[in-house]
Formats: sequence, C-alpha cells, structure tokens
Amino acid sequence: MAANKPSSALEKEQIFGMAEKEMEYRVELFNKLTQTCFSKCVENRYKEPELNMGENSCIDRCVSKYWQVTNLVGQLLGNNQGPM
Amino acid sequence: MSSQNKDSASSTGSSQEQQKPPQIEPIRLPTVEEMRGQDIWNNCAVRSVVSGVMGGGLGLFMGLFLGALDNPLMQEEMTGRQMFIYQAKQMGRRSWSSCKAFALMGLVFSAAECVVEKARAKHDTTNTVVAGCVTGGTISARGGPKAACAGCAGFAAFSVLIEKFLDRHA
Repeated sequence: MAANKPSSALEKEQIFGMAEKEMEYRVELFNKLTQTCFSKCVENRYKEPELNMGENSCIDRCVSKYWQVTNLVGQLLGNNQGPM
Repeated sequence: MSSQNKDSASSTGSSQEQQKPPQIEPIRLPTVEEMRGQDIWNNCAVRSVVSGVMGGGLGLFMGLFLGALDNPLMQEEMTGRQMFIYQAKQMGRRSWSSCKAFALMGLVFSAAECVVEKARAKHDTTNTVVAGCVTGGTISARGGPKAACAGCAGFAAFSVLIEKFLDRHA
C-alpha cells in the first residue's frame, strides 16, 4: 500500500472502530483474567489483608497460563482465518 | 459511590447527625516499593535466614535464663568469685548451644514451609505439618530412624498447635 495516511473520513472511522473494538477486547480479557484467577486462587475466608505466598505463586501460574492460552488460541484463530 | 453513602446516611434520621457517614477509601494499587518489599519477603532464602536469626535470639535468651537456674555441682570447694565465674561460663555455654539449636530449628522450619507452600501454591495447614515433620526429623536424626519419626510427629503436632493459637489471636 503506497498511501499510508488515511485520507478519507471513512478510513479514519474504520480505524477508530477497530481501535475501539481492540480496547473492548483488552478490557474484557483483563476482567475475565482477574475474575478467573481470583476465584481459583484466593480462599473465601479472609484471614489477612495481604496475599500470602501460596496465593502469590498461584496467581503467577494462573496468569501465565491464561496469557499463554490466549496467545496460542489467538494465533491459531488468526492462522485459520488467513487462508480463508 | 461515597456520595450515595452520604445520602443514605443522612436519610436514616436527623438524630444520627453526629455520626459521620463511613468513608469509603478509593482503591489503592501497590506502589513499586511495596511490590519490591513483598518480593523480597516472599523469597525463601531471605525468609529462612530471618527466621533463623530470630530463633537464634530467642535461643540466646532462653539459654541464659535456663543456664542461670542450674546449680553448680561442687558447691563446697569454690569461693564466691570462683562460683561467679563458673556460673557465668555455664550460662554462656548453655545459651550458645541453645542459640544454635533454636536458630537451626527456625531456619529449617521456615525454609521447608516456604518451599512447600510455593510448590503447592496453597495456604494450608498441610504446609505446617510437612515443615514441622522435616524440622523434627532433622533435629532428632542422630537417634536413628525411630527417633526421627517420633521427632517428626511430635514437632509437627506442636507446630500445628502454635499455628492455630497464633491464628486465633493475631
């Protein structure tokens, strides 16, 4: 593509719409991630206000796995949609 | 949200005007220093060394106290100054050996609990039981396998009791 700058208003709107969708996707990913890992790792009875070591390491593992799965699934979906 | 709280508090009655509505604090994410401090405290080596030092201090004072209670064997032959020197040496010996024992106990217990809790990724009493068993086993390892098993069970039970007591109070 020779022309890089979006000259028409339609292109600007498209790009803006894509950025908005991307932002919504990111926010939803963050919310789901925190909700999943919190319900998995933190007990219901709160004995102290800070995360103890077991919960810390559980959250580390949970977030790392979630992120890896998200990237992997996104890659697979992207690869499958390309040739189509 | 705090304004809603104030409205509901003022509508409950004018007689409660002296009571301030409960202040809701905003969410405060941890600062970089707090995160670094938590990272340092979550490190197994640092934790076990600090526990060992604290155990050593406790052992020092306990050894001094218990060493002062022991009576010398040969009470008739020594003068007052000799008795004083003997008593001081005995207290020092007793407190040093007690300090070493308690420091080792604190180090091993803290290291074992830290490693087990990090591996399991759970905060449970099972961590305390395993750590107590390892500590008791290493302390009484010289008496053979039977003594090690007895030490393991005894120290595990003791540490579970102490943990339950501390949870109830603090």
